[in-house]
Amino acid sequence: MSDLLVLRIVTKILMPFILLFALYVQFHGDYGPGGGFQAGVIFGAGFILYGLVYGLDALRGVLSSDILRAGFALGLLIFAGVGVAGLLLGGNYLDYNVLASDPVKGQHLGILLIEFGVGLTVASVMISIFYYFAGRGR
Amino acid sequence: MFTAAAVGLVVAMALALARALMGPTLYDRILSVNTFGTKTVLILAVVGFLFGRPEFLDIALAYALINFIGTIAVLKFFKYGDLGGTGS
Repeated sequence: MSDLLVLRIVTKILMPFILLFALYVQFHGDYGPGGGFQAGVIFGAGFILYGLVYGLDALRGVLSSDILRAGFALGLLIFAGVGVAGLLLGGNYLDYNVLASDPVKGQHLGILLIEFGVGLTVASVMISIFYYFAGRGR
Repeated sequence: MFTAAAVGLVVAMALALARALMGPTLYDRILSVNTFGTKTVLILAVVGFLFGRPEFLDIALAYALINFIGTIAVLKFFKYGDLGGTGS
């Protein structure tokens, strides 16, 4: 696709906004439509667009499979870690109320961390799925 | 007025869908699916204002992005038969 100048430039211009929009969906998810899963998909879609236009090898240069593997493990670890932190602080599994001094603050912190973990895992898994699809037979 | 706009958009989407089903060539179908996606973005925005929930605009934005990427992926696959190459 090296002859498609418009597509390459539009991709370069659009990609930061896609990633920014993903972060908006992630962190505004408490107040509007959105949340970790949707944000992860949009974040992954930004990188998938880059991979489609510039080729899989260029994308692998940006995000190697090792980083993605660490990403989805880390996201799951954050999710489970917040749950276990609730247990250790004297509540139930995934009980956000005990995470901070005040239950409302605890709920805010808990859902933010949980959604961050979900977003990280989903983004990594989406890009990995793209790697497996696009990397068939090479 | 939003209702009239929504009805008009539904008619346009039905026409695009008819072209996608009948389309003699592959590119007719891709173009009509892309048009259908654009109309979906518009109808999301209109329905958001119709039901007094303007935060639907976020969903419309997300849909616009995914639609663009999906069209590029389909076109690349049919032109080069490979999603991962640089397509030279």
